[in-house]
Amino acid sequence: MRIGILSFAHLHAEAYLGALQTMSDVEVIGLADENVERGRHFAGQFGVRQFADYNALLSERPDAVIITSENARHLPLVRMAADAGAAILCEKPLATTLDDARAIVEVCHAAGVSLMTAFPMRFSTPAVEIKKLIDGGGLGHIYGCNATNQGSLPEFHQSEHLPFLKRDWFTDPLLAGGGAVADHVVHLADLLRWYLASEISEVYAVTNQILHKGKVQVETGGLIMLSFANGTFASIDCSWSKPAYYPTWGGLALELVAEKGLATMDAYRQVMTVYSDRVGRPQYAYWGSDANAGMLRDFIAAVNDKRAPAVSGEDGLRAVEVVLAAYESARTGQPVSLG
Amino acid sequence: MFKVGILGAGSMGMTHATGWAQTPAHFVGVHALDAERAAAMVAQHGGHTYDSLDALLADVDLIDICTPTHLHHEMVLQAAAAGKHIICEKPLALNAAQGAEMIDACRRAGITLLVAHVVRFFPEYAGAQAIVSRGDIGDVAVIRLTRCSYQPRLAADNWFLDPAKSGGMMLDLMIHDFDYARWIAGEVESVYARSVRGRQPNAPEDYGIAILRHTSGAISNVEGGWAYPPPMFRTALEIAGSAGLIEHPAGSSMPLSLHLKATAGGDVDAVGIPGSPLDESPYTTEIKHFYEVIAHGVTPRVSAEDGLAALRIALAARQSAQTGRAVRIEEV
Repeated sequence: MRIGILSFAHLHAEAYLGALQTMSDVEVIGLADENVERGRHFAGQFGVRQFADYNALLSERPDAVIITSENARHLPLVRMAADAGAAILCEKPLATTLDDARAIVEVCHAAGVSLMTAFPMRFSTPAVEIKKLIDGGGLGHIYGCNATNQGSLPEFHQSEHLPFLKRDWFTDPLLAGGGAVADHVVHLADLLRWYLASEISEVYAVTNQILHKGKVQVETGGLIMLSFANGTFASIDCSWSKPAYYPTWGGLALELVAEKGLATMDAYRQVMTVYSDRVGRPQYAYWGSDANAGMLRDFIAAVNDKRAPAVSGEDGLRAVEVVLAAYESARTGQPVSLG
Repeated sequence: MFKVGILGAGSMGMTHATGWAQTPAHFVGVHALDAERAAAMVAQHGGHTYDSLDALLADVDLIDICTPTHLHHEMVLQAAAAGKHIICEKPLALNAAQGAEMIDACRRAGITLLVAHVVRFFPEYAGAQAIVSRGDIGDVAVIRLTRCSYQPRLAADNWFLDPAKSGGMMLDLMIHDFDYARWIAGEVESVYARSVRGRQPNAPEDYGIAILRHTSGAISNVEGGWAYPPPMFRTALEIAGSAGLIEHPAGSSMPLSLHLKATAGGDVDAVGIPGSPLDESPYTTEIKHFYEVIAHGVTPRVSAEDGLAALRIALAARQSAQTGRAVRIEEV
């Protein structure tokens, strides 16, 4: 399996490349990045080839590519990769507009290439335990879900302060498609669609810009309520509410209140707290399984076995619909119907 | 001698009686429908049982109303007419018009009406409010509050489960956190909520989530439920601000963890009440404060108007859960 990486705009590219390098059946042919300096940095860090541009990488006919460009710049790369016949793992959110998200799904379908949306939470081992519990009937009807996918301001994420590593597009309304809502609603929206095997029928959202006020032009706080066709409701807190000195980047957790009781899941609870003079503040050291690796293994197996990946492009499209409905609801002050 | 009487001998009446014992006030007795529980209260705290509210009112300076919600309106009006100060359990009333009428009657009678929003006296909640008001976390942006327990299980007349008597879970339970959210982030503009009973009034149990928009721009996520397996009771609080964050997840500060074989499957209280070992019960702190307000004119931590404002948020949440629309506070 020969895989290339298109763009390092999204910081998840680093995590994906790191995970791919641990897999014996994968050959990373290299990366291409429109930011040549950034591409050179990561090619050096991971010891992989840097291609001059995306066409140069695709002309090597990789079996698959990972697209980790800015949210609004997925579609052109998807077109190029689909033309080259490569299977595609596309970073979430799939797109910043419905037209782009639909086009991404259609382009891949027309070219007959496999498209997976990068929703690694479906491969988080704690999250999978909850799926098994639900499918086994252990909870009965789920009344509601109280969920959080909070984080720190994305600009706090970088570990090195090189100017070309500043991923400030995360707070650019056009490139990211918005702020905290675009960044953090899709994971839980997708996870809950999977858990409940039911579609989202209505979305309500409120947002504000009190956190990091004046630093960014997008919403930094958000609460979203999803109503599912089966009657379950779920609230999602997507706020960038974790301070820069918080012990970790953020987290994803949920409580399910159901006919048969309560289940809680904290996907990033498998940590120890480290107090180091070198850092000067408590930090969480995560020791749980790598959900990204699980997602990549499924992507690769799906390509090898010529089957559909566990998460589809349509799943990505559904999540984009939720994000756009949330923005509309925040504008109008009333819930927005889907479908 | 400042004389106090209690109306009702349910779990709140009993709890308040314990609080009054810690004040200089003289507890004269109780009027309650349940004669056995009323007798138990006076056996423990002195005073005697009264056959009628009028008889009790004749003997007191202050009446502490711990009856089911649907009785608050009439009893407050009766006590106000008698010129007695009043402590009324939350929620103040079943609807905003009644609440406003009660406040107005007390104002005209020149007596003080206080509403027992006890959460403001729990040390972790009061502590977080103090941190916020000191400015330590900057401007409040996002509040998350949780209060979930099992369905109240009174042996007879389980009025909690009758919306005509309690107003339902949002008015009885979630109102605690509606009041708290408003204490932290100020007035609420609009509410959107979902709940099990909002769309299915006859569902066997209730659980809900409300999203509040405050005038300040802050937003609050309030979760409440009577759907946990007994004896589970969880509360949680989180306040994110422009300059910091307060986190207090459910169960995170429990100083004790007991797993005793003898208690497995043991008795469960009729109504879940959260608790942590403290020198003084928050209910006692509340009663002592209310005594200071009425006997010595101290400014109340929570006013009757606060009680009415919390009621309106709860009514808006309940209406939203029923209609599926976001509800502006002035609509209720």
